[in-house]
Amino acid sequence: MQPKLKLCHLYPDLLNLYGDRGNIIALMRRASLRGIELTVDAITLGEKFDPLKYDMVFLGGGQDAEQNILRKDFVTEKGSAVKEAVAANKVFLCICGGYQMMGLYYEEHDGVKIDCLGALNVWTVGEKNRFIQDTVYSCDFLPGDKLLYGFENHSGRTYLGEGVKPLAKVLFGAGNNGRDGYEGAVYKNVYCTYSHGSFLPKNPAMTDYLLKKAVEVQTGAPFVLPELDTDIEDFARKALPACKKP
Amino acid sequence: MANVRAGAAIFSARTVTALLRLMGRGATTLPGRVAIKICPDIISVLARDQQIITITGTNGKTTTTHMVTGILETLGYAVVTNVSGANLATGIATALIGGIRVRRRAEKAGKKTVCVIEADEAAFSKVCGPLAPRICVVTNLFRDQLDRYGELVHTQNFIAKGLDACDARILLNADDSLVAALARGREERVSYFGMDDDSMVRNTVTNAPEQGIGKTTTDASYCHFCQTKYEYRARSFGHLGDFYCPSCGYSRPQPSFLVSYEKNREDQMSPSDAGFPITLTYEGESVTAGLPIPGIHNFYNTASAVAAVYSLGIVCKDPELSLGKVVQAVELVRPAFGRMEKIRIGGKSLCLLLVKNPVGLERALSFVSEASDADGMYLLLNSNDADGKDVSWIWDVDFESRTYPEKVFVSGERYGDMYLRLAYSGIDKKRMKALPMEECGNLVDEALAACAEGKCLYILPNYTAMLALREILVKRYNLKDFWK
Repeated sequence: MQPKLKLCHLYPDLLNLYGDRGNIIALMRRASLRGIELTVDAITLGEKFDPLKYDMVFLGGGQDAEQNILRKDFVTEKGSAVKEAVAANKVFLCICGGYQMMGLYYEEHDGVKIDCLGALNVWTVGEKNRFIQDTVYSCDFLPGDKLLYGFENHSGRTYLGEGVKPLAKVLFGAGNNGRDGYEGAVYKNVYCTYSHGSFLPKNPAMTDYLLKKAVEVQTGAPFVLPELDTDIEDFARKALPACKKP
Repeated sequence: MANVRAGAAIFSARTVTALLRLMGRGATTLPGRVAIKICPDIISVLARDQQIITITGTNGKTTTTHMVTGILETLGYAVVTNVSGANLATGIATALIGGIRVRRRAEKAGKKTVCVIEADEAAFSKVCGPLAPRICVVTNLFRDQLDRYGELVHTQNFIAKGLDACDARILLNADDSLVAALARGREERVSYFGMDDDSMVRNTVTNAPEQGIGKTTTDASYCHFCQTKYEYRARSFGHLGDFYCPSCGYSRPQPSFLVSYEKNREDQMSPSDAGFPITLTYEGESVTAGLPIPGIHNFYNTASAVAAVYSLGIVCKDPELSLGKVVQAVELVRPAFGRMEKIRIGGKSLCLLLVKNPVGLERALSFVSEASDADGMYLLLNSNDADGKDVSWIWDVDFESRTYPEKVFVSGERYGDMYLRLAYSGIDKKRMKALPMEECGNLVDEALAACAEGKCLYILPNYTAMLALREILVKRYNLKDFWK
């Protein structure tokens, strides 16, 4: 009898840029191929988020116009519930705009400061030029070659404060801010990255890591995922242009 | 002084054109670039006293331009138009300079000339003033290369700026909430085209949207004016449909040019068949015609092309451009290269469908999954500047809820990304073959060999993949100038 997982996709109708839903497709695929049932609920504006109902929470990135629509709902309406879920060690995956919104604030390049949720001790400062490129990172806690492949497309520079660790070291690309050589953030079971689109499909080790974590938090016991090959993903990883760089 | 400059600009542009032709190259933008350098207002000089129709929007520009051109030529007009893709100021200037001779020839033959100009959305904001068109068509606004253009509302602002720089009649897609919103403050100049609700519902029944893995993305889910979630009485595809805002009351305006399934006949054919019967209605008058180019999105392209030519007839008081004649003429239009054009190779055929963004790819996939002659599907994905460097949009596309031909081929510089997307949609890896771009030609051979006699291989490339592929097709299959 395999475990059952519940995932909450926050604001899928607003935070839906750059193929972020590929991450959910990946989680569902690698769960269902192992007989783990993963159900997805969409929770959007004006709807209640129950912090204890879900094992996983996904927060993607959106266009500015859309992010402005939901920011108030996220920070003031759902804010304390989201923080409660973080405190309960629920597994979060937050990409790009979602990553920024989990932090303390976003300072636009003209100096205007926008308050964000503050679930993580990170902050973002907008600059004019965007990082748009294929990326490769090295992530210590993953098995195998530890390599994460991604694509970044962001103008915000994110900095990590005390208590928050980077997700990975940058081998190719800009990462969080183009300065300190790190990418993403990890706090409790909150995993954040600027790699959008097909982040999890291209990184099955990360997908498996999140699934395993989610089961372990739910059951409170160590869990070994059933074996599952990565032939398809490896083929795609080998074909990536960025693969030749590091 | 202006005349001297303009004369020099035209002379130089013609010289450049002649040189490029001697070198065996196309002259679609460079002559215009040179002319603009010499005479920055060359577009407004050449556009003076011309009848101009502009077409802009994220999807369907080329097809609509092609349809408007086809209708006008059938009805005895001479047409000056820019080459597909050459839709920035440089390409438009090139077309207008080439148009001087077209016009002179037309005058001798006693024909009137119309300029039909496809304009990139960002370029539109700058060229619309100098062009001073009589008719502006806005096709739709879908997400398209956001890494290059920024946000959809920026694109919308570009178009608004262009519209305010001229006094043209404006034809807007009523079913697109972002496009219809452009009517605010410009009401007296605006007419709408759109699809009727019954046809939308029928279309949605045959192409049920995906259930399960978080619904696919649509743009503009929330009201443009008050940020309340839209409701829909019916949907056609993407965010197009009969929308209304339950809070502020903004809703789909009633289209004066309405396109619909021709009642009682749709059982025998599907909108994926060329010639599928459609009805175009304007102010109570209805005319039935065969859909010139298949695909539900071509309902909109057909409606907007008919609306553009018919409106030009009203503006220019030309009774020849009656609804009946215009609709009859649109039926004769054949696909432009790479836009659903079929090429015969022996007993088999190839069909190229250019796919540049999520909604374009969804339309193409839906088309292939319905095509009865499909035996093989071949996707090519590149990521050059002209394509958008970011290919993650393929994950925004609903691959899951359709069934495809048994054999699926993949190439392009990002063949790994596309292969992974297809595999994750549930297509077994045994059904797929993926090769790097360098081998895309060999893969065409292989795919064609695997295609049964009398059947068709559907090829879905994005922009630069299509350019590369068509050169290869010309060489391999000896298809001389077939896209001209």
